[in-house]
Amino acid sequence: MKRFIEHEELARDRRFIRQQNVAADLLATLPDDVDAVVELFEKVGPVIEAGTRGTAAEPLYDRFGPAFTLMTLNEPIRPGDPGTEDRLKMRMHGIFVGELQALEGAGRSLWDFPEAPWEFKMNMARQCWDEARHVQIFEKLLDHVGGEVGMYAESTFLFEAACADDPALRVAGVNRALEGLACDVFRDNIEYAKQTDDALMEQSMDYVLADELTHVRFGSEWVAEFCKDDPERLAKAREFRRETDRRFNFGGARSADKDAAIQIAWEDRKFAGFTDEELEDLAQLSGEGPSRKTMKKAIEILVARFQEEHGIPSEAQS
Amino acid sequence: MSEGRMYPGTGKDERTTFAPYSAFDIPQDLRELHGRYDVETTARRVRNFRYAEEWMMMMLGGWLATVPEVPVKTGLGKIIWEGAKAADEFGKRLPELRCGKRAAESSEAGNPGFADLIQEIAAPETPDLTIEKMTGVFDVLKPHLVKVYERHMRETDQIADAPTIEILEEIVRKTERHVAWGHEILDRLCDTDAKRQRRHARQAELNELLEKCGGVTGDLALDH
Ligand SMILES: [Fe+2]
Ligand SMILES: [Fe+2]
Repeated sequence: MKRFIEHEELARDRRFIRQQNVAADLLATLPDDVDAVVELFEKVGPVIEAGTRGTAAEPLYDRFGPAFTLMTLNEPIRPGDPGTEDRLKMRMHGIFVGELQALEGAGRSLWDFPEAPWEFKMNMARQCWDEARHVQIFEKLLDHVGGEVGMYAESTFLFEAACADDPALRVAGVNRALEGLACDVFRDNIEYAKQTDDALMEQSMDYVLADELTHVRFGSEWVAEFCKDDPERLAKAREFRRETDRRFNFGGARSADKDAAIQIAWEDRKFAGFTDEELEDLAQLSGEGPSRKTMKKAIEILVARFQEEHGIPSEAQS
Repeated sequence: MSEGRMYPGTGKDERTTFAPYSAFDIPQDLRELHGRYDVETTARRVRNFRYAEEWMMMMLGGWLATVPEVPVKTGLGKIIWEGAKAADEFGKRLPELRCGKRAAESSEAGNPGFADLIQEIAAPETPDLTIEKMTGVFDVLKPHLVKVYERHMRETDQIADAPTIEILEEIVRKTERHVAWGHEILDRLCDTDAKRQRRHARQAELNELLEKCGGVTGDLALDH
């Protein structure tokens, strides 16, 4: 078996379909400018459309056009809001495939770095078991919200972005950036579960969050250990983590803004070894994307243009 | 309160009055000293066992990404963790066997042939080869390890090397569960004659290599 694989090589059964990662790449580079957002999304419309064909997202595309991806990301999930059910399914599906890729990433860290210290291997092996349980948990939670595996396309963007060839960068990307993002998303979902009296979701996600904090801590400790006598490597690992974080702000959907769709789980992250300085930096980084207001305006324009072009009555926007 | 002596003195008439057996007549330990392996041999064997467990969990980690069956991915997660714990327990035994503190992280292949066998078991790569991947670990390597571990438990010094026996007992218990799970998966995956043939062919090929190199310690005649 070779060392290091590409994200295209992740094996899936026939239920899954792939989404090109271009939309995710695009979200990472969005400026805070309505026209620029509109222009970029119109350009990649066909790619986004292709990713929805044959999936449960197809009717959403047919109704709202390429902006539907922004609509699902930009607004917080609140009980009773229009489209909440679909967005919840999409989020659960997204987390499910994210856990799958986290499992695969942790496993590859065992095979790709045979010379790594034993304690590192122990941590990665433990993470394999944890992520395997998370996959099982989200398969069940997806079912719980009425969804099913394969109903949306899978973007392998997480694996692609985070699986660097240097173990210090790998743990910086996977364990600090991605697992950190998972903490933000889970904290947000736990709040949603509380609001909807969904004890099943609340409790199981809280256990998952506890595991993820441990994984972030593995990342914090191993970046420090791998880079302890090598300031250059430390700087590289830090920059790689920032770059991964930038890509996972989803065009500002995850940020420290009070009205952000997903808040930064500040306290949880501190518990897992993030310093105040790093968190300030993350907040600053997340603020670089478009504001929620910009996104809202761009969505309005994109949806109106799409519906006009396709002769769809505009009240469908609700 | 006894009137006799509580502690022995130096003279032969100054013995305590305690009888050599208690009133509960605790049965005597009938196990005999002497086992097949001396300290150095057990240390070497434990390093060999650690090598097998470490590489096995590493290759299973690598395969998580390249097997398409979701229940196989999730089932392997726990087996990887238990494999790592097994290697860790073997490692912790090594300093106790006079190998030095640092030895806890050392693995050693029984011989170059066994190292080659491990690489051969780890060779299948693409998503259409789950049968070959699973056969290598669950039909060949793990069942072989169970046999060797059980034989070591039987033939080592039952009292002097009891800590090794304790470690092996726990690992055998879990490995047997892994093998049962693996067989269930393989039985389901091999649902045609052609697939069953693939499994048998792979098993035969790897067993031949195993016999040639002498297995995990390099001494199959004594181990099986
Ligand atoms: Fe996870
Ligand atoms: Fe995790």
